[in-house]
Amino acid sequence: MDSALHATDPSPGRSRVLVADDEDDIRDLVCVAVRKAGCDVVRSVNDGAEALVAARTDLPDLAVLDVSMPGATGLEICTALREDPVTTGIRILLLSAGASPDEVARGLSAGADAYLAKPFTVAGLVSQVRALTVGVPA
Amino acid sequence: MSLAVLDRPAAPVPARTHRLTDPATWQATLRGPLPCTVVFAATAAVLAAGWVPVVDRLLTGAGVAVAVATSATAWAVRRSRASLRSLAVPAAHLVAVALLYAGTASATMLFLLLGPLLVLSSHPTRAGVPIAAGGTAVVLLVPELMGTAFAAAHPPAGALLLGPLAVAVGSLAVHEDKRRVIAQAGDIARLQREQSALLEQVRSRADELDTASRILAARAQTMTSVIDAVTQQSIIGTDRDGTIRVWNPGAERMLGLLRPDVVRKRSILEFHEPDELAAAAESIGSTTPLEALVHAARVEGSDVRDWTYVAADGSHRTVSVAITPRSDDRGVHAGWNFVGTDMTETRATQRMKDQFVSLISHELRTPLSSILGYLELVMDDEESPLTEEQRQYLSTVERNAQRLLRLVGDLLFTAQVESGRFTLQPADVDLAGVVRAAEETARVAAANAGVEIVVDVPADGLVVSGDAVRLGQACDNLVSNAVKFTPGGGQVRLSLQRSWQTADGEVVAEQRPGAVPVALLSVADTGMGIPAGEQGQLFTRFFRSSTAQRNAVPGVGLGLTITKAITTAHGGSLDLVSAEGQGTTFTMALPLGPAA
Repeated sequence: MDSALHATDPSPGRSRVLVADDEDDIRDLVCVAVRKAGCDVVRSVNDGAEALVAARTDLPDLAVLDVSMPGATGLEICTALREDPVTTGIRILLLSAGASPDEVARGLSAGADAYLAKPFTVAGLVSQVRALTVGVPA
Repeated sequence: MSLAVLDRPAAPVPARTHRLTDPATWQATLRGPLPCTVVFAATAAVLAAGWVPVVDRLLTGAGVAVAVATSATAWAVRRSRASLRSLAVPAAHLVAVALLYAGTASATMLFLLLGPLLVLSSHPTRAGVPIAAGGTAVVLLVPELMGTAFAAAHPPAGALLLGPLAVAVGSLAVHEDKRRVIAQAGDIARLQREQSALLEQVRSRADELDTASRILAARAQTMTSVIDAVTQQSIIGTDRDGTIRVWNPGAERMLGLLRPDVVRKRSILEFHEPDELAAAAESIGSTTPLEALVHAARVEGSDVRDWTYVAADGSHRTVSVAITPRSDDRGVHAGWNFVGTDMTETRATQRMKDQFVSLISHELRTPLSSILGYLELVMDDEESPLTEEQRQYLSTVERNAQRLLRLVGDLLFTAQVESGRFTLQPADVDLAGVVRAAEETARVAAANAGVEIVVDVPADGLVVSGDAVRLGQACDNLVSNAVKFTPGGGQVRLSLQRSWQTADGEVVAEQRPGAVPVALLSVADTGMGIPAGEQGQLFTRFFRSSTAQRNAVPGVGLGLTITKAITTAHGGSLDLVSAEGQGTTFTMALPLGPAA
């Protein structure tokens, strides 16, 4: 794994993003898209439980979470973050291979701000990340 | 249940009684000429032997002659009318007795009176009575007429009066007795006939009952054997209160209890999962669990759905149960029938299949996501642009990755349709927009193939209620099919119009009673067509027409299956008209709201 693709030192004024996906290739792709959107990847993890810990310690502006991950699913992380007043302000973008309407509905009702079905286009992901980090206080 | 079979008595055998033992034959013989003939023959023999002295030979000879003549006559006419014969013959015999009495002057001859008198008194009418009395009087008067020759034998004057009188009274008594006996015999005979007729009726009724009971028993046996032959399905019949009355081997096998332990002893409710029943009761606002169970069957006449049975060992079975009301022989509601098929394994297999399809599609989508994502990064990299050749190669990679992705999506969708987990997200959808989008999608492929696409949609659009994504998918399938199957220089025409459809599916241009408004989307090509014999299979999964295979048109045979499923889910219909070598037109009719 090329560490250069992952967490970088946050630059001042740029939104901080947590990326979690158990598929390394997809996670790398997401990190690229996040940077293309002008944000910094504060941490990238491949496990749900780690993602939850990272979210609580790093308090990123945005968490891009895969729905099906070991440790904890994206939906579970979503619910947990929303229940905690400290983390409830974190924007959440869910990524999933399941694109059926009720899956989208479940994701949104768990507290996600947006839901993107795999396979996604890099351009689509970039614009979603941009949309979700607009207006985030630096 | 079986009626005791009544013993059938042997059929009456025609009487074959011997002549001599038959009373009727004896009577006829006694009334016939034989007794008198024998008596007079004996008299003649006695006279000839000289045991009775003959006083006057002439009179005696005349008496014997009359007796012989009368007896001979009696023999000659014994088959003629009885009434006349049985008066005339004894009367003549009386004359013969009178002559013999006169000729012998012996009172012995008076005994000869007995035969004729008996015959006269037994005559059917009373006419014999005066003849007997008169004849007796004449015979008794013989000594008076003969004078001195009878000096010793003169009967007293009282005998002359009392003799005939006694004979008359005796004859009358005998006659009346005989009449009474005959009448009684007639009554008895009539009663016997009536009795045998009744007996015959009873026998025939018993036969009918016997036949009917055999038929009923046979029917019951047939039903029982059919029910008993069902070992894979549970057949349970209950009273109105749910008490089990019928419990077949299938139920024994499924629920682990034998018939004697269940019938009349347990309720159907004991075999249902209580929480499920309670939830069902709550959902219909019912007061009793039984009503929750049979409610739909009571309302609809029958009901089929999955219920959870609890077997004797506590295991749960998922059972598809068909519930119907049961009536007795008078048509009165008597209870319920529950025919169950154990779906536990089937449902488990279905779940596994669904999970498998989901897993596979996830596993296929993930690498495809990577491929497409990184392709995009490479192709859109502004810092190091690709050569035209490289771009062309990577476009081919991307196109094929997209194709693979569509196939995965189609497979997943087909599995969802099959398992009934396919749901629509209804909204107002402008079909004109859907058609234009489909044209756009197919435009490049059509241009490459040299196929012209003509779009004819209403300028103001045509809105239906439906799932925009699915309708787009259906329309895309039809258009991409049409383009694929049309050779270069051909045309694909997409048209959309408002129309009406009758209840039997016929599409008509004018509104008419019973017809509902529909949006009619047709995709007509000038392609290779579909052979008539294959058109029926066209919507079957993985079916590929012979023309498609011959012309090496790519595809796996899922597009039309999916299109059909989407159309059906929207309450619409999908039809086609095709002629091999001339082209195919697919027509999708989707219901518009009332008074659209």
